[in-house]
This record gives sequence, structure tokens and C-alpha cells, in this order.
Amino acid sequence: MKYPAITATLAAATMAFGFSAPAHATGKMTCEAGPQSGWVSRADLEADLVEKGWKIKKSKVDGGCYEVYGTTPEGDRVEAYFHPVSMEKLLVLRRGKELFRKK
Amino acid sequence: MEVMTAALRTLNSLPVFWLLLSLPALAMMRGYWTGDIIAMDMLHPTGEFSARFMIIAMMISPLITIFGNRGWTGWLLRRRRSFGVAAFVYAMLHLVFYIVDMEELGPILAEFWAPGIWTGWAAMLFFVPLAITSNDASMRWLKRRWKILQRLVYGAALLTLAHWLLIHDGMTGALVHFIPLFMLQLLRMIIIYGRKKKNVIKADSPQPL
Repeated sequence: MKYPAITATLAAATMAFGFSAPAHATGKMTCEAGPQSGWVSRADLEADLVEKGWKIKKSKVDGGCYEVYGTTPEGDRVEAYFHPVSMEKLLVLRRGKELFRKK
Repeated sequence: MEVMTAALRTLNSLPVFWLLLSLPALAMMRGYWTGDIIAMDMLHPTGEFSARFMIIAMMISPLITIFGNRGWTGWLLRRRRSFGVAAFVYAMLHLVFYIVDMEELGPILAEFWAPGIWTGWAAMLFFVPLAITSNDASMRWLKRRWKILQRLVYGAALLTLAHWLLIHDGMTGALVHFIPLFMLQLLRMIIIYGRKKKNVIKADSPQPL
């Protein structure tokens, strides 16, 4: 190695960066919805949305809410959060841009 | 013994290396064809491998500056073109799955100006001339200008980093990939600057009669 001191310093700095990365969490929406036994099923939510003109790619649970990836009736590709009991639309994001947020 | 040598030579050959670079794609495509993975979920792995291979290609010059022309740096240098072209192929796969996932032109246009989206298109735009000129014929045709053109990779890298940071949830992945490259480039610039200074001082020193 031709430049041990500089190389060692930069390697250490790189590792410090790499290993100090914070834990991953979306945290975009949280719901106080009680136990999952009281929730509407994901399939029912999806069916309800499809009836309204949505196209669903996939859905999952995030922050205690249902998170849906799909296309709105207006033709926007979004990730949308719904309350798992009331099925209320809570937040709609198109590539990070808020298209809708429940007041 | 000659069979062994021939076999080892084949294993170390460029076509075999191409095959190795294509293994992640084969694994991904298997997941897709079996229906285990939807198009939307193919975007992250294809994008990651594209960025990864581009970064490895870009690390080679700094590694040579730092470690000199050794066996292993020469080995990597001879494979730099394959890393670069692989980065392009994975980027094309990434684009194909994006279009498949979006299904229609409408949603694609609707989100085009999202910072996380147009940076992806722009990075791909930079990739195209790089990929087209990644061959001996282009090097012969362009001569000195080939090297200048290939510097577009720095723009491609910055746009790729921006795209990754903006489109993805969380910065960790992008930073873990790009910070080492940044550090190597920084070290490379420090070393080259140091050499130039030394040459200037040498040039200024009094010469023996």
C-alpha cells in the first residue's frame, strides 16, 4: 500500500458512516385501530377499492394501518394508507408527494 | 495438466465473467416468472444491481491510483467494460419492470416530474451514450474523445444516487453503496494532487549542471 495513513483514515470514516446508519422505518402513518381481530380483512378493503375504480398491486400492514400500492381512479400511481377498521382513506402519496391527507 | 490449464483459462475468461454478472438477473427473473415476485418488487433488486455494477466499474481507476497496476487491479480493469455494460443491462431491466408495473402511459406521465422519477430517467439518458460506446470500434473511432465521453459516468452516478435517495424509503442503502466510492475518488484526487505538486516542486528545483 502506497499511502497507508490516508487510506486507513478514509476506510475508518467509511465504516463509521456505514455502521452508524439509523434503523429503517417508514413511519408515514400510524393508526390506533385496536387488535387485528377487529379489523376489516385486507381482501375486503381491496375489493371495496376496486369497486371504486382503484387498481391494486399489493397491500400490507404499516404502522397499524393498511398500506395499499396501486392506481387511483384518477390514474395516479400511489401508496395509500387506510384505517383498518373504518376503511377511511388517511394518506395518499405519489412518489413522496402528498396528494391527500385526512384532516 | 493441459486440460486443467485450459479449464482454468475458460473459468477466468470474459464470457464466463459475463455469465457470473448475469446470475443475479437469472435469479430475479426466476422469481418473476414463477409469480413469486410482482413487477413492482423487481424494481429494487434490478436498480440495486445496476448501481452496484456501475459503482464497481467506477472504483477501478481510484484503486489503480491507490494500489498501482497490480495483478488484481489489472484483472478488474480488464473486466471494467463488462461491469459497465452489466450496469446498463440491469438498468434496462429496471426500466422494463417500471413500464410493466405502471401498465399505462397516463400514470407514467402523471408522475414524471416527481424528483424521484425524473432523476431516474435522466440517469438512464446518461447511461445510453456510455453503453453505446462501450466497444473497441467506438474507442478507435473517437480516440481521445472516448475518454472524455466516458466521464458522463460521473453525471450518471450523481443522478443515480439522487434517484435512489429520492425514490426509496430510507437513505441507508444508497449511502452504503455510494460513500465507499466517494471515499475512493476523494483519495484518488488527493494522491493525484500530491503527485502534481511533487512534480511542480521537482520542476522548480535547481538542476545539476
